[in-house]
Amino acid sequence: MITRINVGPIHPGTHGVLRLLVDVDGDTIKKVEPHIGFLHRGVEKLVENRMYLQNPVYMEKLDYIAPLAFDELYVSAVEAAMGIPVKERAQYIRLIQLELQRIASHLLWLGTLANDVGQLFTIFMWAFSDRDKVLRLLEESAGTRMFYVNQRMGGLIRDQPPDFAEHAAPLLDYLDQRIAQFQEVLEKNPIFTERMKGVGVLNREDAIRFGVTGPTLRGSGVDYDTRSNQPYYVYKKLNFSPQTRGEGDAFARYKVRMLEMKESIKLVRNALKSMPEGDALGMQIRLINPVPKNRVVTVSRETPRGEGMMYMVADPQRPYRLSIRSPSFINLSVLNHIAKGHRFADLFAILASLDPVMADVDR
Amino acid sequence: MLTGNPLDMLGQALQSGNLTTSVIAVIAYAILIAIIIGVFDYLFGWFERKVIARVQLRHGPTYVGKYGILQNLADLIKLLAKENVIPANADRIFFMTMMPSLLALSIFIVFLIPFSPTLQATNLGLGVLVIFTLLSFAPSMIFLAGHSTGNKFADISAQRSVIMLISYELPLILVLVAVAVMANGFNLSNIVNAQSPWYFIILMPLGFVIFFITMLAEMERPPFDIREADSELIAGWFTDYSSPYYALGLFLDYTRMLLGSLLISVIFLGGWLGPAILPPVAWLLIKAVVVAFFIVIVRVTTVRMRLNNLLRFGWIYLLPLSLINLVITYIVFIKGP
Repeated sequence: MITRINVGPIHPGTHGVLRLLVDVDGDTIKKVEPHIGFLHRGVEKLVENRMYLQNPVYMEKLDYIAPLAFDELYVSAVEAAMGIPVKERAQYIRLIQLELQRIASHLLWLGTLANDVGQLFTIFMWAFSDRDKVLRLLEESAGTRMFYVNQRMGGLIRDQPPDFAEHAAPLLDYLDQRIAQFQEVLEKNPIFTERMKGVGVLNREDAIRFGVTGPTLRGSGVDYDTRSNQPYYVYKKLNFSPQTRGEGDAFARYKVRMLEMKESIKLVRNALKSMPEGDALGMQIRLINPVPKNRVVTVSRETPRGEGMMYMVADPQRPYRLSIRSPSFINLSVLNHIAKGHRFADLFAILASLDPVMADVDR
Repeated sequence: MLTGNPLDMLGQALQSGNLTTSVIAVIAYAILIAIIIGVFDYLFGWFERKVIARVQLRHGPTYVGKYGILQNLADLIKLLAKENVIPANADRIFFMTMMPSLLALSIFIVFLIPFSPTLQATNLGLGVLVIFTLLSFAPSMIFLAGHSTGNKFADISAQRSVIMLISYELPLILVLVAVAVMANGFNLSNIVNAQSPWYFIILMPLGFVIFFITMLAEMERPPFDIREADSELIAGWFTDYSSPYYALGLFLDYTRMLLGSLLISVIFLGGWLGPAILPPVAWLLIKAVVVAFFIVIVRVTTVRMRLNNLLRFGWIYLLPLSLINLVITYIVFIKGP
């Protein structure tokens, strides 16, 4: 007998306002149908009515777990349209901020994942306190804790404080240690590994066919990372290597994110070491009255959730059209395919391993 | 004829053959047990919140009362003041009776546990069997409670409750058989007295581990909170129970925790045995609190088990291990020196 269960939009297991219609036969999932749109704001249309400099505020609310990623992506799209080069020091600072943001985002994901497999908020609280430390460091660099709006065409609104490297070094060491501790608590627990391994397997071909990106794709053994395949900023110089795992299950996706955090720590360390002196400030606001050099641009960046892409048709005053490829939306589309045939309890482990952010899905 | 402090007097009255005296004594004892359960449920609620908070780098309740000790009372008042909503498609009779009956059942089982050599309502020859038979009523009552709400999540939870029963009940009984072999019977007082020089936790550590795990499952404590799985089933079988029933549910939860820790203390940790500086009842309660602490620590550090994993775990690991435990016990302690 098939029972249809309505999960969400208010449910402890669905992050944000995701509604799932789940058909179960006993305890086995037959079909999962995501219903989205509870957080639709029409960002793409809003952007068309505002000037270039007004839009980063909206972009940050796309993925509120990692606001900087989309802020930076939008600013890069504008830079590409206007043909503004980014100053070298600014490239380093942006990279550091983006990677710190990735660590913060993955820490939050780790907490919610642990919750969804039945942890009683312990890992969640630990990860949140560590995330807060990362955010405090970002605050030093970017000015605010969560919604930064600190990117300007060609650079940033302010340079890094002079003692930033001294403050960052102990935190990075601490994070290295903490990530090892998290792994110890979770991976040494056979219940956790049993719940994650072999669950929600997405094989290589399907991953490519569905167009998933980010850790979800790399967990399926595809060595594709925008940071290395279409390198931007100084990722190439800093010996970035993408992290992949071949199994394609929830555990592989978990593992990829854990390894990515370590990789990000390495990148920040390297960037702090080799950062050039000089000027990192972007254009002054009164100078921003740009005339687009390229009318149509496409820019893509590796956000914590996958490849974020912006397609912009530029007008002198405001974007004529801005189309956003949000990684969460496309990663979520794979849910039915990989959750079918698993237990009802696995649905939430699988969902957490995909890590969708509903604001990003609904736009 | 009755001498000593009130507890001793009560004990002597309970053990006296006189009908009137023992009837009055049993009533007094029931009131005492009710007070103990009330106080310990309340304190466990506070204690659990504090321990969990400390593990999670939080403070826990601090505002209401000293160290937040009155927070749970405030919560209770809030719950009782709220409207009691009974879902339209619920089976009203089962919905309204099952939660109080479950609580009554748990309290009755606590009533059957001996608190000291004299403080016991009755000295049943098959005490352990009676207690565990009564305990195994709970899953079917939870099934009814969940099924009667007419909520799909509660329904799934109710089904899980029945499946859980078949995964942990057999190893539990086998461990109890080993205990009975050691103590030469199922009488709880005899079991405690048999632990006189060495507690059973030392004599059969394997049995203790299995018993602790199965008791966690029996009490719906994590990692076996499969019925209440909050990230999957919202609150499982009591998703639709609101206000006063929810308060009853919390009471039930802590009574079962007290019951579980008392049973573990009595059967494996020597019950009321301990140096004479404290009365026997105090030793039993201290041991119960220590066990409860470990239960809370397990709750806060582990992740939830999946239903089919629990079945496999029960039948592939726990059942053979409990058989091995039984055989070892028989060979070493009965046939051996």
